[in-house]
Amino acid sequence: MKRFRRQFIFGLLALIAATVGALWLNAKYNALPNYAYLTGWALLAGMFVLTIYNVRKKLPFLPLGKSETWLQIHIYLGFFTTLLFLIHLNFRLPHGWFEAVLAWLFVLVSGSGFVGLFFSRVLPRRLATRGGEVIFEKIPALCHALKTEAETLALGSEAKSVVIAEFYTKRLAVFFSGPKNFWNHLAESRREVSGLLAELEDLRRFASEIEKEKISKLAALVRQKDGLDYHRALQLALRLWLFVHIPLTYGLLIFTALHIILVFGFSGGAR
Amino acid sequence: MSEQLPAPEFDAQNYARPNQNYICGNACEGKACRQGPDAKGRCGATADCKPVLKTKPGETKGRWICTRPGGECESGPLPDGSCCNPVPKCSPVPTLRLWRGRVTLAVIAASCALLLVILGNPPWRNNFISPGTISNPHSGAAFAALAITNHLNESCGACHVAGNSGPNGMVNVAMRADPGILDFEKIASASAANPTAIDESCLKCHAGRNFHQPSAPQISCAFCHAEHQGKMMAATTDANCSFCHGDAAKMNPITKNTVAPVIHHFADDHPQFRFITENLHDPDTLKFNHALHLTGPTIPKLAGGEKLDCAFCHQPDTAGAFMKPVEFEKNCRVCHSLQFDPQTPELQLPHGSVEFVSAFLRSLPKQYLNLAAQFGKDEDANVFVEKKLAGLRAQFGSGEDLEKRVFFSTSTTAPEISVGNVTGAARAIFPGCAYCHEVKNSSARAPEITRPIQTERWLVQAKFNHLKHTSVACAQCHDAVHSKDTADILLPAKEACVTCHSPRGGVADTCAECHTYHKPLVAAQ
Repeated sequence: MKRFRRQFIFGLLALIAATVGALWLNAKYNALPNYAYLTGWALLAGMFVLTIYNVRKKLPFLPLGKSETWLQIHIYLGFFTTLLFLIHLNFRLPHGWFEAVLAWLFVLVSGSGFVGLFFSRVLPRRLATRGGEVIFEKIPALCHALKTEAETLALGSEAKSVVIAEFYTKRLAVFFSGPKNFWNHLAESRREVSGLLAELEDLRRFASEIEKEKISKLAALVRQKDGLDYHRALQLALRLWLFVHIPLTYGLLIFTALHIILVFGFSGGAR
Repeated sequence: MSEQLPAPEFDAQNYARPNQNYICGNACEGKACRQGPDAKGRCGATADCKPVLKTKPGETKGRWICTRPGGECESGPLPDGSCCNPVPKCSPVPTLRLWRGRVTLAVIAASCALLLVILGNPPWRNNFISPGTISNPHSGAAFAALAITNHLNESCGACHVAGNSGPNGMVNVAMRADPGILDFEKIASASAANPTAIDESCLKCHAGRNFHQPSAPQISCAFCHAEHQGKMMAATTDANCSFCHGDAAKMNPITKNTVAPVIHHFADDHPQFRFITENLHDPDTLKFNHALHLTGPTIPKLAGGEKLDCAFCHQPDTAGAFMKPVEFEKNCRVCHSLQFDPQTPELQLPHGSVEFVSAFLRSLPKQYLNLAAQFGKDEDANVFVEKKLAGLRAQFGSGEDLEKRVFFSTSTTAPEISVGNVTGAARAIFPGCAYCHEVKNSSARAPEITRPIQTERWLVQAKFNHLKHTSVACAQCHDAVHSKDTADILLPAKEACVTCHSPRGGVADTCAECHTYHKPLVAAQ
């Protein structure tokens, strides 16, 4: 923990120093004739370092430093590169179609990165407060097991309860059929499952003692399934942001390459 | 070390393999096979084991032995050596990692396809890569027509070499650019205003670059005129002017260290206007006293009872920027009638030509005759004419004397005359041409009257618009009430302008607010 805090403070101070330095340089040299070229190359260098973090992850056998260090650099450089991007744009919105697309790609890539950082800082803590560790890839199997158990309980040959069977068919079958309430779990809302459990509790008024016991077991299964859905939703969110961040990074690189060609091809010195 | 250990409930036999592209199709039911699918998503399930053939010494055929983990099965391998418990095949499921890879490839493919399609179609390409709207003068039908006349491309190619070619050509041009793509030193040390290759495109339509002072260094057109900034070309900024005018090292050799070689701001180090520092005078020969006309007690009121003011003579032109020239017929005659005969107000001299005046005076009998016919005088016309001519002779002497008096007299008073019901010495109704004009005697011909010069613009290098200054009283800038001499140039000094045009005054004070770079430098003559 101490090490993490030390890293955080060091990284934050470095980021603040780099930001202040960049803004000072921007104020001093903004009038340079080819200032946009210089900031553009600096931005490209930043983007290059950010991108090779993905390469580093794919080459774990090479002695390129710890992945943890690379991640820290990736995060702080990501913030700094966003500042460089704004300086490169001279804090103005681009006008042309191509430049607008390029800027939007950068915004989406950096924005998804910030979302991913937020998720990776917040969601694991929330997961830790809701049950034990659940491996994401095993959630479908665990859900399937819960479904089988619930079906046996409600519809099996030993069930002999029309009320429970009917309730299962109408309400619980859908709930156990697959992942549910993704957005509710992300928003930390338990409204859906609470409603379902309340309906299940209502059955007790007309149930025999044996049926009441089954209802209690079914309620426990519903809670377990909801817990798995919660884990699935949060762990999926921790993975889904990469579906925006990584693919658009490559799109951004392609558009950036064309941007460089256009800048020099259509510059004042183009012959 | 403890971090690397699996969780207590970790099942080593049921590893999920999230780093692989596919997982077993039965994994969602908790029944994943041990082998799992291969990298291409093919089910790797075969059987519970792969039997091995063991041959004891002396045997020829040998025996298939079950190799199932956890112990041999009851049935054992089949006679052909295959396992008796084949595992049913599944449809492997792509992992999130594979989906991410597919989305990545799709984005790359879509980006490349989109760019190729757009760049391969010239009209789309030009619209797509343009970094902003082109100014009106460089777009539209008029520009296209001019481009055709000058044998230029009507679109991007008119200015950009790369605009004439497709993607390959763009790359080639980019590689030949100066400074080059990787020429960091040159990029960093480049001078802002140096002419570049693209200026040659400007020169195809705009002949020459020497619009400014001849001694000024050559600068790039694009330095001041940034294109792709909207329908209106971006305004030239003070930074553009200060590039030379704010740098003593650049200006001293040009100005030879004369007055104010370096100018940063209008309110600070901009020099006083030259008509003041060089004590210039209005060269007009017309005798006019602004102070008298605006404040003199003898100046009569206008027809509506209003006092004579600036606006009576100085009317703005159609655009409102400048004032129309003052005209005798419109602005002067209302007070300065050219009535030379005190007894005949209907008869007035013509204005504008010495010859006409001379001819008019020599044909006075005819003029009086016409007057009699026009106004239907009761008495006989010839008697009327004789009476008038006799009156003139009595007052002015011969016709020659009369003509001399009309041209050369500057007298403000006349002999005893009668104007209306007032008799006695009075202000002359028409003192003579020389009262206002410079009249030169010419023995051979009619006298010469110097034509008045009305200077339309004094500060020809400066822009001005009266319409924008209507909230300011005329007298605040033009000190006419104290001017008694035509030679006075009634323009404000720099300080009057600075009152508003300065950071303190809050009104724009940029160089371009008043100055035009491309206008030829012509001193007010």
